[in-house]
Amino acid sequence: MSSKIVIITAIILLVVSFSVLFVIETKNHNYDYNKAWSVAYFENPRDDSLDFAIENHEGAKAEYGYKILINNDKLIDEKVEINAGATQKISPVIPSEKLKGNKILIDVSYKDTEYKIYKNIK
Amino acid sequence: MFLSFLKLILTIPFVLILPGIFFQLAIFGWKSALGGGKISFFEKAVLAVPMSLILVDLIVLLLNKLNVLIKGPVLIGAILIFCFACFAVFQIRFGQKKNEDKENKEAEGMFDFSAWQTIFVLLAIVLAIFIRTAYLSDTIVPSATDMGHHMYWAQTIINTGHLPDYGVPDFIIGEHIIFAVVNLISGVKLMTAMPALLLLLFNITGIFTIAILLGRVFESKKIAVISFFVAGALFAVNAPQGRYVSGGVVGNVIGDMLIPVALYFLYRALAEYDQIFAGLFFFSLAGLLYTHHLSAFVFIFSAAAILLLYLLLNIKNILKIIGDWLKIFLKPFPLAILFFSALFLFFIFTPSYFNSAAVSQATGEPTKITRVGLSLSQIEGTVGSAQFILGALGFLLALLALKTKELKYSVALGWFLILFAMAWKPGWLFVNIPSDRIGNYLFLPLALLSSFALVRYFEVFTSAASRFASAVLLFTLLFFVITNGLSDSADAFKAKNQFQQAMETFHSAQYLASTVDINKDIILKDHVNIYGDSWYKLFFMKDYKYPLSRGVLTRYVDPTKARETCTRDMISDPESDVGKACFVETGVNYVAVNTQIEGNSFEKYPDFSKVYGSDYISIFRKN
Repeated sequence: MSSKIVIITAIILLVVSFSVLFVIETKNHNYDYNKAWSVAYFENPRDDSLDFAIENHEGAKAEYGYKILINNDKLIDEKVEINAGATQKISPVIPSEKLKGNKILIDVSYKDTEYKIYKNIK
Repeated sequence: MFLSFLKLILTIPFVLILPGIFFQLAIFGWKSALGGGKISFFEKAVLAVPMSLILVDLIVLLLNKLNVLIKGPVLIGAILIFCFACFAVFQIRFGQKKNEDKENKEAEGMFDFSAWQTIFVLLAIVLAIFIRTAYLSDTIVPSATDMGHHMYWAQTIINTGHLPDYGVPDFIIGEHIIFAVVNLISGVKLMTAMPALLLLLFNITGIFTIAILLGRVFESKKIAVISFFVAGALFAVNAPQGRYVSGGVVGNVIGDMLIPVALYFLYRALAEYDQIFAGLFFFSLAGLLYTHHLSAFVFIFSAAAILLLYLLLNIKNILKIIGDWLKIFLKPFPLAILFFSALFLFFIFTPSYFNSAAVSQATGEPTKITRVGLSLSQIEGTVGSAQFILGALGFLLALLALKTKELKYSVALGWFLILFAMAWKPGWLFVNIPSDRIGNYLFLPLALLSSFALVRYFEVFTSAASRFASAVLLFTLLFFVITNGLSDSADAFKAKNQFQQAMETFHSAQYLASTVDINKDIILKDHVNIYGDSWYKLFFMKDYKYPLSRGVLTRYVDPTKARETCTRDMISDPESDVGKACFVETGVNYVAVNTQIEGNSFEKYPDFSKVYGSDYISIFRKN
């Protein structure tokens, strides 16, 4: 009888352990749960388009600033509010003749952190 | 979430308990399943997991050979057919037999614990599972390097429905089948807690397989009971326990469960002159060979050393002993299992390491500094000070109690001696394998010796006066063992989990997977500074070596052969002539690096555009 108790207890404990770990993993396997980070990226890294996105994983609605600079000359300086866990896509309109042969920098800021992405347009 | 967990929790017993139960039913009969025959209920329950694992591996290997697409319904059908076949065998063999009660009671007695023993075992199991669960809770999001590599191959099986051709001896099919099977039946993805949970199951089962081995070898309930505490709590987190579970060291974790099983059957075959156990020894050895080359290698050395020591201790009767052993193994059941094992190994699916090159790589004079052996202090560090001292005490007590005609002493002494020699002076045995990997197996004989030490200690001191002194000494030792042993585990706990880094890594991989053309674009990522990067390849599933990776820097320095260095140079010095030549040679046009470390440097290079930037990962595209 005692051996059955040991086996059954071990099975129950394992099921409890598995369920705890499974829940922890599922909750944390998420870009937002208990996390605070942001990211900026070009929607298409393969061409010269400047469409970009900002993702807010800071845990709360946040206001981001973004500047677009061509060879350090500020062309656009805007702010955008993004809900927690949301993605904001931005399509800047810049005449193509200003882009050629230049480095186009998109500087996204949230509080004290800057997220810079850029393309060197040929 | 709830539905996924439910599917998983139903799939695990279907895959990892049911086949083993029915297989044992066919071999030992029904009555014994309730606690008897040659094997008790406790042993049957423990052995169900390792046997199921081996059986499921063999079923999948056979399906693959028959060119049957490996999918969920096929697997469910195949497992059910196997169970029915076992049931039919059981009906034929045991259908008419009615009364096995007397034999049953004898077998059950071995693991029929007293009330206090049961409480002790339960407390040890609670502690063992609690420590591991607490440790894993900080690492449960998939991120371990080894696990990422293994899950690529498991995902390949899932995607293609066929077993992969590795092309290298580093991976073994038994390390991947079970994860693919559980995914195909339950639908629970590999990038979840599932792989780690399966390893945790194998790890906990390993505690039980050690207990049944010790119970049978020493014919002592007390030693089996103590082993739950030693293997479960003293060896809880440090390698090869919880740390290997979270680290995804699949082969080792499964090997540590199967080695005691193989030794258990070997011991019982020899001690009880039983052909059934001899057959099951070949069966478990085949499972080991299909799962992990190093564990199989270590087991073969261990078994050889145990038998050799026994023969040396009984040199006068050596011919008679060998003759007796041959009589056990040259019977129909073991010969049939040996035949089927050989059939599988040579004609159904040959493990990738079954070739002369791999064998010659693992044997001979050690070729690298990491293979020349560990110092005594390194061995102590590997297994833990407390565990090492307790094991040494057990070795001494076993030596003092040595009775040459009893095989159990050869098991206790020979097993430790051979593994110690393989880890300490591998050159003596022509072993050419990383010594720290060997050292991790020392926990097995040390768990045996430590359990023996704790029980035997009081038996040595019988008078009241010596009992008092010995009790003081033992409790002093135990205090040190428990505080030191558990502190080894406590040290391994992370100050802070790295779930955010892992998720940022996955996000960057997802970004690349959805934007690049994997047929044209070549990605290079930095393994050195990106957490969980080995899982990158699961987002692309193009090739095991896609994306390219800058590995640990010491790997580029190998006195035995020239290594490629482009993956290092393209990140370390991309603007150098060598770096530029490497970009041309490899065609790399995307580089993913840690923002804080290499990211800042890359921003200075005019040849790159930065297309993705978070506080942790930066991705650059070569213009």
